[in-house]
Amino acid sequence: MNLILIGMNYRTAPLEIREQLSAGCGGDLRSLADIRAIAQVREAMCLSTCNRFEVLASAADIDAAALGIKAFILMRSGLLPDQLEKCLYIYRDQDAVKHLFRVASSIDSMIMGEPQILGQVKEAYRRCVDQRASGVILNKLLHHAFRTAKRVRTETGIANNAVSVSFAAVELAKKIFGDLKNKAILLIGAGEMAELAARHLVRNGTKKIIVANRTYDRASDLASLLHGTAVELERIGEKLQEADIVISSTGASGYLITKDMIAAALYRRKNRLLFLIDIAVPRDIDPAAGEIDNVYLYNIDDLQGVVDGNIRSRAVEAEKAEAIVDEEVLRFSHWFSSLEAVPTIIDLRRKMEDIMEGEIEKSLFWINSLGESDKEKVRMLVSSVLNKVLHDPITGLKEASQNSGAVLYIAALRKLFKLDGE
Amino acid sequence: MDLLFFKIALFAYFLSTAGYTISLLAKRVLPARLSAWIFLSAFLLHTVSLLFRGVDAGLNPAANLHEALSFFAWAVSGIYLFIQSKTKTKVLGAFVAPVSFLLMLAAAGGLGASLAVPSVLKGSLVTLHIVLSIIGEALFALAGCAGVVYLIQDTFIKHRKMTGFSRILPSLGDLDRINHLCLLLGFPLLTLGVIAGSIWAGTVWGSHWNWDPKQVFTLIAWLSYAVLLHQRLAIGWSGRKAALLSIAAFLVILFTLIGVNVMFTTSHSFV
Repeated sequence: MNLILIGMNYRTAPLEIREQLSAGCGGDLRSLADIRAIAQVREAMCLSTCNRFEVLASAADIDAAALGIKAFILMRSGLLPDQLEKCLYIYRDQDAVKHLFRVASSIDSMIMGEPQILGQVKEAYRRCVDQRASGVILNKLLHHAFRTAKRVRTETGIANNAVSVSFAAVELAKKIFGDLKNKAILLIGAGEMAELAARHLVRNGTKKIIVANRTYDRASDLASLLHGTAVELERIGEKLQEADIVISSTGASGYLITKDMIAAALYRRKNRLLFLIDIAVPRDIDPAAGEIDNVYLYNIDDLQGVVDGNIRSRAVEAEKAEAIVDEEVLRFSHWFSSLEAVPTIIDLRRKMEDIMEGEIEKSLFWINSLGESDKEKVRMLVSSVLNKVLHDPITGLKEASQNSGAVLYIAALRKLFKLDGE
Repeated sequence: MDLLFFKIALFAYFLSTAGYTISLLAKRVLPARLSAWIFLSAFLLHTVSLLFRGVDAGLNPAANLHEALSFFAWAVSGIYLFIQSKTKTKVLGAFVAPVSFLLMLAAAGGLGASLAVPSVLKGSLVTLHIVLSIIGEALFALAGCAGVVYLIQDTFIKHRKMTGFSRILPSLGDLDRINHLCLLLGFPLLTLGVIAGSIWAGTVWGSHWNWDPKQVFTLIAWLSYAVLLHQRLAIGWSGRKAALLSIAAFLVILFTLIGVNVMFTTSHSFV
């Protein structure tokens, strides 16, 4: 298939390395152009989220392309080769298709079944199309991935099992506070994930919500939606005193909340327990803040631990989802093999026609002695013999390509007829 | 009759401790639910045993070490079961039942002791002194238990190990509340118990305070709790620090109860 997928995710790489990578070669426009510039790469797509960084490419020579893409990642991220090698996974052809389908269907997500990932894959594909980095193969592949994700969503229950960071956050909040009534939430950054978590907490009894955002309008929009109050981002220091649960998800590049801010707030709030959830990548809250007594700091990786406990109940649904993915991978492979049969048929025809033209060329001395209508008859005769000869092999090839045996036929045909040149 | 019930109760305490242990090992709540019922029946059997004893020996529930320990175990179990009925926590019992069981086991050591109460230990003031002090100390024992579980749960959550074990333990908020409540109730009870003892000592020994090792260590424990309560109420200590200090203070109480009798000569030699 000549497909390759190189990447790392939350399982293979720690947060620090993912941060470095998403900063170095995240979704900016130049990255895709640079990957496309790698020799061998025909089509390419780049998926960069909090939990994964992946490059999907179709290439003439996938091993050469793999080397090129690795070099690109090394250069952009500034990681050491050893460091990178430990975190990277490489999938080829069918495995790459399967991995993409699993990612899009949220089977591979940190929190299985979470809905955001499909949107993120769609966004990555849109960027890829915008930059004309997609071709026949990626177009077909991605649309197939979206269809697979939709099937998984509707035919299995993995999305129903309350899944997303919000679920894990609520469970933890209950383990810390016991009762969530009368607890206050501070949302920093008005993103979708934060909103989801807040809604979940509200459903579990929290009443007071404070929203802080860089753009105040967005904060007040979300605040009115959640029946809370909005504040400017500069005032989070004082609001930390009121909040029991803080959910931070801004796109800020440095730490928004320092250890000192937390320590000061804790002193003012008489040491009441404080639960900090940092779902931003790169992180918003200084990890050192978690060392303070009565402060519990969880980043997006830590939430994985909470989710693990729920995985058992989802195992059955996940199995169904895997079966759907396998089915769809097989379908895509069928399509792909037929795609490879078509150029072979074209090549075969062209070769035959070349031979015919060549032979007619050689026989011109006697053909020219014939009358105009006879000349035409000779041409038609040769051409119809050619068609008759080619008819069975070509239909045979088309049939074979429907049940995955085509690769062998194509290989034999190309060799016997020397379609790939000498 | 009281001995028979005591022995059955001891066995029931053992069963419930074992059940709770299984619950912790298997990380399941179900065995803990069963053990809670066994714990309750152990407590009821124990109550019957104490009633028989009371009928035989008069109203003094703690005239010797055996009785004091048994009464201590009874108070710890009773107060815990009351708390359990008010909260949803079932698994906290896994840390209380062993305490009750061990106290009962220690009490069983002095089982055959004479029922004869020295004349100096007769009188309602003595009974008041003993009952109040032991109930106060039982509350402190529970505060200590809640403190221990708090530290365990705190360590789990702090280090992001939300394992099955952490899942079945009560929430930090609940544990802190139990700890706080037990301190709040235990402190005045112990204070009253000490005052009652002191008044009684004045009538028997002619002095309210005579620097007896037991008195000194009780004073140390009392001061520790006074500090802890002050920090909690005035400064807002809660969570880890409060849990640590409540455990430390209870260790002092434990030493006062048992260690002092072994290591020092004391006029409190009966208990």
